[in-house]
Amino acid sequence: MADIPATEYRGGIHQRQKELMLDWYGQLDQAAQKGDPPTVSMMVSGNCVELLEGFGAVPIYPEVNALQLAIRHQSLDPILAAEDMGYAPDNCAYVKADIGCYVKGITPTGGKMPKPTLVLCNFVGCNTYAKWFEHVAALTGAPLYMLDVPFLRNDQPSQADIDYVVRQLHEVVALLERLTGRTFDYARFQQAVDWSRQTEEVWSQIKHLSQHVPSPFDAYFDAITLMGPLYVHRAKREGLEFFQAALAEFQQKCDLKQGIYDQEKFRLVFEGPPPYPHFRTFRDMFAKWKACAVASTYSTVGGLWEFGFRHDPERPFESVAMHMLAHNVTNRNYLQRYEQIHRYVKEWKADGIIVHFVKSCRLFSAGQGDMRDYFTKKLGIPTLYIESDLEYPRYFSEAQIKNRIDAFFESLEHAKHTGSRVAQEVHV
Amino acid sequence: MRIAAGVDVGSTQTKAILVKENGGPSPVILARALTDTGANVRKAAENAFEECCRTAGISTSDVGFVVGTGYGRYKISFGNAQMTEISCHAKGAHFLCPGTRTVIDMGGQDAKAISVGPSGEVLDFVMNDKCAAGTGRFLANAADVMGLSLDEIGQVSLQAKRPVKIATVCTVFVESDILSYLAQGKRGEDILGGVHLAIAKRTLSLARRVAIEPEITMTGGVARNVGMVRALEEVLGCPLKISPDAHFMGAVGAALFALEKLGQSFEAGVWRDTHAVSSGD
Repeated sequence: MADIPATEYRGGIHQRQKELMLDWYGQLDQAAQKGDPPTVSMMVSGNCVELLEGFGAVPIYPEVNALQLAIRHQSLDPILAAEDMGYAPDNCAYVKADIGCYVKGITPTGGKMPKPTLVLCNFVGCNTYAKWFEHVAALTGAPLYMLDVPFLRNDQPSQADIDYVVRQLHEVVALLERLTGRTFDYARFQQAVDWSRQTEEVWSQIKHLSQHVPSPFDAYFDAITLMGPLYVHRAKREGLEFFQAALAEFQQKCDLKQGIYDQEKFRLVFEGPPPYPHFRTFRDMFAKWKACAVASTYSTVGGLWEFGFRHDPERPFESVAMHMLAHNVTNRNYLQRYEQIHRYVKEWKADGIIVHFVKSCRLFSAGQGDMRDYFTKKLGIPTLYIESDLEYPRYFSEAQIKNRIDAFFESLEHAKHTGSRVAQEVHV
Repeated sequence: MRIAAGVDVGSTQTKAILVKENGGPSPVILARALTDTGANVRKAAENAFEECCRTAGISTSDVGFVVGTGYGRYKISFGNAQMTEISCHAKGAHFLCPGTRTVIDMGGQDAKAISVGPSGEVLDFVMNDKCAAGTGRFLANAADVMGLSLDEIGQVSLQAKRPVKIATVCTVFVESDILSYLAQGKRGEDILGGVHLAIAKRTLSLARRVAIEPEITMTGGVARNVGMVRALEEVLGCPLKISPDAHFMGAVGAALFALEKLGQSFEAGVWRDTHAVSSGD
C-alpha cells in the first residue's frame, strides 16, 4: 500500500485546544463535586452559550461527550448498555452512547459529570433531541425546559418566530434565576455576546483562509479540533484569544504557501459528520490521495458565520434568537444547505463533494441520496456518497468505504489528467 | 514486446489476465486464469498469476507490470500498483465494447452500476451497501435450496411460464421464501424465474441512481448466468452487451492499466475482431 502522508497539522493551537477542553471538563468535574458552578445541558446546534454567561454557568454538551467517547474507541459499551435497556439498534447512536454513559457512570475523561442545574432542550432542527433530553432529565432528576425553535421554512425567520424564541429565552432566564439563586447579570450577558461577535469574526476569517491554494488546514478534520472551543468558549475572552492565535498560525502558513501535504492534489467539500469511532482510518483514506477538505457543513452545525452573521451586543436576545433560528446548518432548510454546499464548491474552488450518510441519524441524513443526485446530475459536480455512522463503531465497513473513496479519486484523477467532462463541469 | 498483467482478487474468485503488445494499435490477451479466492488471498493471487504465465508459456519475470484490483488488491505481494475494480471494469468494458456507457457488474458479493465516459473513464458509480442482494451469493443460496448447481439455475429459469413473486431480496431469507413456494407445489423453473426477476428489479433500482445510458455492458461472474441476463434485459427494456471475457473484465481492465504504465497506448475496440462480443438482441 502507498504510504499515507502525514496530515495532522500540530501547531500551538492544538496544545491550547487541549488545555481549554480539559479546563472545561475540570469545571464540570468541580460542579459534580461541589455543586458549583451551575451547569446547563444543551444541544450544540444553534446553542445559546452566551445566555449561560449571564449566570456564570457552564454548558454540558452531550454530543461532545459522545464524540469524545467514540474517537477514543469507548462508545460501544454505553451503546450496548442503552440497547439492553430497550433502545432500538437504529436509534440515534449519540443518544444511546449518552444514555449508556449515565447508566454506567462513564465520562470521556474519567472525571465526574454533574447533575445539570437545567436540561435545556434548545430544540433546533433535530426532533430526536426532544426525547433525548426528556430521558436525560428523567435519568438525572434535573428540571427540563423545552425551548422550541421553529424550523426555518423560508429564507429568513418571521418576526413572530423571533419574538417567540426571545420570549422563551426570557423564560429560561427567569427559570435559571430560580434554579441557581443568582440574579441574571445582563451586562455580563451583553459582554459575552460581544465576545462571541468578535470570535465569530475571527472564525469566519479562518474559514475563508481555506480558499487559498493550498489550504493551510483541513476544514473538516482539523476544523473539528476547533469546534470544541467554538461551542464552549466563544463567548469568553479566552475563546477569542484562542481563535486569534489560530488565525495567526494559519495566516502564516498561507504566507509560506504551506498546505497540509507537500502537494495538495484534491480539494473537497464535506457534508455530514465524520465516523468518529474510525476517525483516523477515515482521514487516512483521504490523506492517501492528498485530498484536503476546504469546507464542510458539519463545521457549521453550531453556527454558520462565514456568510456574515454575527451576534449583536446591542440586540443580545434578538441576535441569540436569530442564531438559533437561521444561522446554524441544522435548523436551515434543505435548499439552503444545497446553496451552502454549492457556494463552497465555487468560492472555495473544490473538485468534488463527499456526502457521509449517518445511518443512525435519519434527520440530518434524510435526503442525502437526492442531494448526491442533485450535485452529480444537475450540476455535474463529482459527488461521492458513503455510509457509516458517527458513533456506532459497528456501522463501518472499511473495505467497502475505502473502495468507493479510491474509485472516486481514480475518476477525479483521470478527469484532471484528460480534462474530460467530470473535471470540466466541476466549477459551474 | 511488452507484457503486462491484471489480477482481480474478488470475494469469491480470483482472475488473472496477461496482455501483450502485438505491434499494432491494440494488445492481445495471452492467457487467462481463474481460481477460487478462499481464505488465503495472497496465495490465490499468486496461483492465478503463475497459472496465467504457465498457460502463456512465459516466466513471471517476463511480465513488466502487474496491476491488482478487487477487494484483495492490497494483498498482491508481487503487484506494482492497485486500482479499484470500478475503474478496471469500466476500462475493460470500454475496450471490449467501445460503445459502453453503462456497466452493470454483478460479482460474488457485490453489484455495481458504473456510468462510463467516451474514453472509458468513470463518470459516476453506485454499489450495493452492506447487503448481498443482487449478487452471486444470493443466486448461490437459491441454487442450494433448489438442489441445483449455480451453473444450472439460469438455464432452468428460462423455462419459467409463471414466475413467482419473491417478496424478499435478502440473501438469507430468500431460502424460506423458496421453501414456502416448494411447499405450495410451485414448479422449480417458476420459482427460479421469480428469483432472477427479483434480483433484476433490485439491480435496476441500483442502476437508476447513475444515468443509465445505452450501450449497457454486463460484467462479472453473474454475466455467465443466461437467466440473469434475460431478466435484466427484460426490466431494462434493452439488450445487454456480454463479452466472453465478462467474468474477467476487472482483470482485463487492470491489465490494460498495467500496459499503460509500461508506456503502451492502444485503441479501443480492435479486440472485437478476434473476440466475438455477443449481444442480447
